[in-house]
Amino acid sequence: MIREYTLLALIFSAAVPVMDKICRTGLMRKPLFYVFLGVIFFFKLLVNGYLTSQQIVVYNPAMFSGIRLGSIPVEDFLFGFSMVSFCLIVWEKSG
Amino acid sequence: MSQYMAVLLVSLSLPLLLSFWPPLKFYRRFSALIAAIGATLLVFGGWDVFAVRREHWSFRPDAVLSFRLLGLPPEELLFFIVIPFCCLFTWETLKYLQRKLEKV
Repeated sequence: MIREYTLLALIFSAAVPVMDKICRTGLMRKPLFYVFLGVIFFFKLLVNGYLTSQQIVVYNPAMFSGIRLGSIPVEDFLFGFSMVSFCLIVWEKSG
Repeated sequence: MSQYMAVLLVSLSLPLLLSFWPPLKFYRRFSALIAAIGATLLVFGGWDVFAVRREHWSFRPDAVLSFRLLGLPPEELLFFIVIPFCCLFTWETLKYLQRKLEKV
């Protein structure tokens, strides 16, 4: 059975490229966007890594896949990806 | 200060300071800033409110302030303002650097 957090993370990650198409922001066709993801990935490892390794945020084992990169649940990477992409799409659309 | 609040302040410090650097001119797109951060706070903060209600994750009580807003520690809501701001800062900085490189 797919866990709730896993499912939500997959749905949001799939929705964001659709939103990019509908909004005609074309973010995901820009090479710079992938440079951006790389930079954010680095800082995410620092911030999310700290929050999880220090157990400031504690995850319920029944609600996610149990797979972690270091201390960070893999679902958090999808959460992060969908959040930063969503934010940039609204920003570019409002420009 | 809570441990989580310290994480937010460290994350915000450099982007906030540099966003006033004239070439980036963040303040010029104030309404877009409000729209992007506001929408992210609403959608992903909403996800967080749901996730905490469903017990997807929780917060170590001594690492956050003691009161709750919509079931979340205030730091967790501030996260959805601070991190989007840092992302927009990163994006605009990369666009600036790309423009600079193209001129060379």
